Amino acid sequence: MFIDKSMTKDVIAVSPQMSILEARDIMVQKGIRHLPVVSEGDILVGILTDRDLRAAMPSVILSEAEKADGVKRLAGITVQDIMTADPVTVSPAQTLEDALLLMERHKVGAFPVVDLDGRLRGIISVRDLMRAFVTVLGLRTPGVLIGIVVDDKLGQMKKIVDAISELGVSFGSVLVARVWEEGKRAVFPYLLTNNVARVKKHLLEKGFTLLDPMEWCLDQVPKK
Amino acid sequence: MKKTGILYDERFLLHKTGEGHPEIPERLTVIMGAIEESGLISKMVSIPVTAAKMRWIEKVHSPKYIHRFEEACMLDLGELGDPDNHICPMTYDTALLAVGGILNAIDMLMEGKIDNAFCAVRPPGHHAEMMDAYGFCFFNNVAIAARYLQLQWNVARIMIIDFDVHHGNGTQHIFEQDPEVFYYSIHEHPSFAYPGTGREFEKGSGPGLGMTLNSTVLPGQGDEEYKTKITQDLIPAFEQFKPDVVLVSAGFDAHAADDMSDILLSTEGFSWMMEQICRMTDLYAAGRLISVLEGGYCLDVLPELLKNHVEILLGLKKLHTETEKESPCLLINR
Ligand SMILES: [Zn+2]
Repeated sequence: MFIDKSMTKDVIAVSPQMSILEARDIMVQKGIRHLPVVSEGDILVGILTDRDLRAAMPSVILSEAEKADGVKRLAGITVQDIMTADPVTVSPAQTLEDALLLMERHKVGAFPVVDLDGRLRGIISVRDLMRAFVTVLGLRTPGVLIGIVVDDKLGQMKKIVDAISELGVSFGSVLVARVWEEGKRAVFPYLLTNNVARVKKHLLEKGFTLLDPMEWCLDQVPKK
Repeated sequence: MKKTGILYDERFLLHKTGEGHPEIPERLTVIMGAIEESGLISKMVSIPVTAAKMRWIEKVHSPKYIHRFEEACMLDLGELGDPDNHICPMTYDTALLAVGGILNAIDMLMEGKIDNAFCAVRPPGHHAEMMDAYGFCFFNNVAIAARYLQLQWNVARIMIIDFDVHHGNGTQHIFEQDPEVFYYSIHEHPSFAYPGTGREFEKGSGPGLGMTLNSTVLPGQGDEEYKTKITQDLIPAFEQFKPDVVLVSAGFDAHAADDMSDILLSTEGFSWMMEQICRMTDLYAAGRLISVLEGGYCLDVLPELLKNHVEILLGLKKLHTETEKESPCLLINR
């Protein structure tokens, strides 16, 4: 799953010399929160975020006169004065998992995607990742999630898949909560069927333990 | 007593789904058995069954899909789309008869020959999308009925109330942008139940924004939660929308004894809900209501549930009066 398959390609970028008032208007009009900043030849030099802009704007607690004065001064400030230079970037050949982990680490909502020459190729944001994961979870296809708890040992998943496949039911996705309780895992298959009663009955007959839906959880701390 | 129509035909049994499938012909035979044994049938008006004309099916489903369905039955392919949707060579004809019968019920309703009706049909309809069969459904019976009311009878405001325990994804999607059709559904929360749609933030779109309303119920909940949601969500929506005709997608799989869901609605809970729907329909839509069977798979409880359902339509069951202490509007304004 490479980033270039899920990133936004027709990205709006601005020049370092643009006035920050103009940059703000672009963000507001296009409803975006990250503007990559490029010099000639689409070489990425920084990123301007809505947070950078807000920090530069006159505060609401200022008086009207002070604000008017502030706005006048802002007109002279350019993007390069307030942008984040040398932002964290990713390459089109990195993966969605890379992007997800980097977002968690750096606590940012988007990365410019640049090629080996430093040229801007796109942007990958939380929004792009969410869209990809909504699709991969199968949430756009009619189906139903069930929860099964199994011993944390090899071969359990095969048994579940075999038991469900015997009924001719197909899988939309499978989630696994590795940390359930000591020695246990919770498996959540998303099944493309309305006939969930039959699946549950079959699994119980095969000796599986089904989880009470009100107990379902993906990342709880281990129960002692 | 009301003039209540009953739609049933032995040909509805010809759609066979095979072993291990819950949507079986016996559902209808136990339901009709109860309506006959209790003597209710003699108080009802029989609705003729004819195959629906293609032009009405095409008001909802794409010709390509209709053709695919017909062909799959002719070739006896065994299933259509998902393996859930078992078919036999008679499924297509049965589905056409079900829709045709419902359209006949609408004619009789609009001509004043009946006050309301219960349609004991198979296959069910509310999961069927414009171009796909889902969840045992092939033609979206209620959706086609609503289009027929709009186009043949110029009915301006139609309300669809869907109390099947599963969300009616097909019906919602078909009318998502239609400001003249209000879709209300109460069902098990989509994170726990098929088909995974019908979240409370789905409210319609474009000109139909605000004309879709979903009440979701968590696993293990029952009568109390249904009373709260119907009172807080459905009743104010009904009062505001003021429908001319009400269509009910009547599914009985929310019953505690039905293992298709984790919802624990009681037999009395079903009666209470239907009484509210009929009371509101009397108030705002001159009682004009067509109830169409959707799901409900527990053969032990279907007889009593449907006997009660029909008695309420006939007006034989004493209707609960306006919520005793406070009006529903006060409840939501708090
Ligand atoms: Zn159902």
